[in-house]
Formats: sequence, C-alpha cells, structure tokens
Amino acid sequence: MGNEVSAKQILSAAEEIVKDVADFGDAVQAEVRNHTGGRRKNPYVFIEVAASKWRELALWLKKSKNVDYCSMVTGIHWPEKADATWQVVVHLLRTGVVNPPVTNKRVHEIKVDIDGLSGNSVPMEFEISMSIPDTREPSVPSVADIWVGADWNEKETWDLVGINFDGHVGMRRVLLPHDSPTGYHPLQKQHKLRYHDFNEMYDDPQGFGRKPEDSGRVK
Amino acid sequence: MAEMWISMGPQHPMTHGLWTLKVKIDGETVVDTEPDLGYIHRGVEKICEARDFTQITTYCDRLCYASANTWSHAYIYAAEDLLEVEVPERAEYIRMVAVELQRIASHLMWLGAYCPDVGNLTGLVWCLREREMMMDLLQELGGSRMHYNFPRVGGVKRDLPIGFALRCRAKLKLFLDRIQEYEALLDESTIFLVRTQGVGYAKAEEMINHGVSGPNVRAAGHNYDVRWAHPYSVYDELDWEPAVERPSIKGSDCYDRYRVRVEEMRQSALMILDGLDKIPGGADTHYQPGDPAIIGKAPARAAEGQTGFHHFEDSRGESMFYLAGGGEERGKHPYRVSIRSPMFITIPYASKCMIGYKIADIPAIMGSFDPCIGETDR
Repeated sequence: MGNEVSAKQILSAAEEIVKDVADFGDAVQAEVRNHTGGRRKNPYVFIEVAASKWRELALWLKKSKNVDYCSMVTGIHWPEKADATWQVVVHLLRTGVVNPPVTNKRVHEIKVDIDGLSGNSVPMEFEISMSIPDTREPSVPSVADIWVGADWNEKETWDLVGINFDGHVGMRRVLLPHDSPTGYHPLQKQHKLRYHDFNEMYDDPQGFGRKPEDSGRVK
Repeated sequence: MAEMWISMGPQHPMTHGLWTLKVKIDGETVVDTEPDLGYIHRGVEKICEARDFTQITTYCDRLCYASANTWSHAYIYAAEDLLEVEVPERAEYIRMVAVELQRIASHLMWLGAYCPDVGNLTGLVWCLREREMMMDLLQELGGSRMHYNFPRVGGVKRDLPIGFALRCRAKLKLFLDRIQEYEALLDESTIFLVRTQGVGYAKAEEMINHGVSGPNVRAAGHNYDVRWAHPYSVYDELDWEPAVERPSIKGSDCYDRYRVRVEEMRQSALMILDGLDKIPGGADTHYQPGDPAIIGKAPARAAEGQTGFHHFEDSRGESMFYLAGGGEERGKHPYRVSIRSPMFITIPYASKCMIGYKIADIPAIMGSFDPCIGETDR
C-alpha cells in the first residue's frame, strides 16, 4: 500500500548523511545502525562526537541536513569508566514539517507524498553520543538556541544527572524541588536505591539489619 | 497599568493536574508566563534501574492515567530493541488494537475535560459515556480498567478474548455514529466557537522547533506522524491516513486542535475495524497465554553496551524510551532508563503560546494542547 516510509528510502538517505559527516575528520564518527528488535529493523544514523565539536555539528545538521526536531537529551553516569564517566546521548529527528502553503489567501494542508520522499526530505532518526572524562563539573555545549525543544530537556538533564550545558540561559530545577541541596542529582550512581531485591525489602522493612556496606545509601 | 505576576495552580481547573502556571499580566492581557512543574515527580527513571524488564511495564502504565497503554507499549518497543526480540505478527496486531483503543479513550478524556473548560458541560458527560465503552473493551484485554499492564517483551499478555471482535466491532460502529453527535454539539455551539476560534495560534515549523509534535502539529496543516515517518508495528497494512487539519494563515487555533483530535479518533476506529479483519489467524481464534503465536522468546538480560530506543506516536505527541543495558544483577536491570514525555516539552511551548491573549483564554489554550501531568513529572 505504500503508506509509510520504506527501509530502502531511509537507508539511502542515512548513507548519504554518513558520507557527508566524514568531512568533519576524526572528531566525528558516523555510521548507519539498524534497530534490532520488533517487526522492522529500520536504519538510523549514529554519530559519536567530541563535546568540543558538538555545536559545530549541530549547526551543520540543522542547516545542511534539515534536522529540525530535538527529541530527547539523556545524561548517563558511568562512575567505573575513568575516560567516559559522563555520557550525553541526544536523539534528534528529521521530520520535514513545514508551514502549509498559502495561495489566494487560502491555506492548503500538506499530505506528504511518501513514495516521492528522497534525500533531505526523508524522515530520519539520529542518535548522537558524547563522552566526558571523569570530572566534578561535567559540561557540554548547549544547543537550546538551535532547537528550542532541547531547552527543557537540558534543564532536566542537569536537574537529574548533574551535567551542565554551557551557554544555556535560565538553568534551574524543573522536576526536583527548587530548594534541593546544591550538587544533589539523584540519577548519579552514588545514590543507591536502598533495597536491592524484594527479599531484603520484606524481611527487613525497617532497615534494622543494615550491613556496614549499606551506610550512606538512601533508604 | 502596573504589571504583576499571578499564580494559576497548583490547584486550578485550568491545570488538568498538579502544576503552577505563573502569569504576568498587564490588566487583562497576558504578557509573560513561566510554568513550574515537578509537583508529582516520582522518580520513575530511578526506580526502573532497580527493576527487571518485565516489572518496568507496570511503572510505565502509571506514567499517564488517561493513556496507560500507549506508555507501556512505548516502553516495550524500546525494550525489544534493546533485547533484540522478534515479535509474532499476531501479537503486533493485538497491540495495535490495544493502542488505538487507548488513543480513542485518551482523546475522549481530553475532549471530556476540554468541554467544561470552555463552558460546555454536556460534552463531558457524552464523552465519558463513550469512553466507558472503550474502557470495557480494554478491560477485556488487560483485565483492569485503567492500568492494563498488557504488553510483554516479545508479545502480549493474553490473546483477544472469545467474542471480543464481535463486541469491538459493534461498539466502534456505534462510536463512529456518536462522533457525529459531538460534532453536532460542539461545531454548532456559539459559546464553544467563540471560546476556541481565533485564540492560541501556533505554526507548524515553530512547533517542531520547540519539540511539539503529534496532533498539535497535524492541526497546523502538516500530516507528520511517527506511525508513517518512523514506521513500526503493522500500520502499513491498514487502511488509514493521518488526520490533518487545514489551519488559517496565522496557524492553528484551539478549534483546529479540537477538529484534528476528533478526526484522529475516527481514523483510529477505522484502523481497529480494519485490523480485526486482517489479523493473522483470525480475530475469533483464541490462543492460551504464553502460546508462541502471541509471545516470542525474550532474553532476560542485556549486556553493557547494548542500547535500545524507539520513537512512538503517543496520543499527545512523540514519546520515546532510551534504555541502556548492563545494570545491576548482571544485566537483569537496565543501567539507565530515559523517558521522553511529549507534554514535558509541550507545556513550556503552550505557556508561551498564550502571551498576548486575555486571562480568560488561558484555560482554552492550555486545554487544547492536552496536558497530562503524570507523564510530565514522571
């Protein structure tokens, strides 16, 4: 019936992007990856970038590759990895949404001709990954001025994970209370969940049997 | 006149949940807004790091009380990407039925909540009447009325019950007639038109840049939909087209956003009717729980380095889960679960959208974006 984007269209568009990303040199590594589960194993573009090159890449994606939508910014804390203690994963989408055309003062809604999509108009998923070495104040450049949708995502990532975004205006707590202690970011891994399995939970609900190695864990 | 800040919420009929909208007003006109979220932050992402992949579904159901099934399915698709699971064709059809029934129920809940916002109490009663039919159908599938816990990694918990297709077809045909009643009620109500037309203009490109998606963008004249643009499930085999509304030159107003959701309910109903005819094995066959026809084999552990994500068309926009494997108990738990909530991004945009309008327009504009605080605060 052809009422959705085919894997072939996505693959050729993704390969084109990966080929063009090569101009950035070694600091930006791109590859076409495939989803691994479910009914379709559609390709998507995976890019590994150094934090210093991230803004340049983001501007290029926006201007040359028509990437118009920031879906999510995720921060991950890996305390056991010295050279990549902090990871930021950004998910972008190319949606191709434009304002509907106006002729004779009449707006015409857009119904996309899906089979005719090619090149920069094919909807595409992007996964961008950045790693930061062990530091007390991790930070990456902000892209909230490129995609406004990244604004609250970055606020949330700082709030919960503690990764800062350089150049982000108006950073503040969004999900935690405004008077949370400075430096308290609950998704960092030193904040452990008290109970590690349900036996412990039911056998010792009051925590009387706490072991020395449990000290400091948030109940 | 001097400008001043007033606080709408956390207890206010406009908020549809527990959050505060700080509004700066000059007389009756809104000049600035600032949303304040986080009142019901439960730490779902952190809790999920200490649960195994089956248990997490239960928490995802509780992300949104009006649209539980779409959230648990969004998680399941990401988990299948992480664990590299094959799903039987029949299970995908059953999931599609569950998700689209939930989408109708969610839009009905929205319309039911929106009508009193703009002064039409009859709409609330009518919408909840039809929502009851959808919830009865979902109860047959999942066993409970609000939090179904229906999908499993690799398939679904149960097959369609015997006689489900018959009852589902009858109810959806009745529902397709009843949609016309809403249109007759609302499209000819002067109060509804005056309150919704010409307020809350939003343009498509601007919304996409602000991270707003789903019905709100389709109301602005572009039929972008994750279901065809980043395809998953069986939507390509069904007879449907994404609802899209013709906006005005200034963009989509609250009325367009109402129209597109009504049309979307109709498309979802047609999709289910079509899917029940096309389901492999027939809709009247019933497999026992755990049968390979409805659930595939799934590993219980994911190693470090494995990741999975999935963009999903939620009833409020594009939702997604990102999962990183290799957590505690040798990978039995995910290392990190990250949830993209469409309303978390849409509420700041909707708050900016009402600048320049009157205080009385705030409920109409905010409600038209369909806020849900359970998923926003996570």
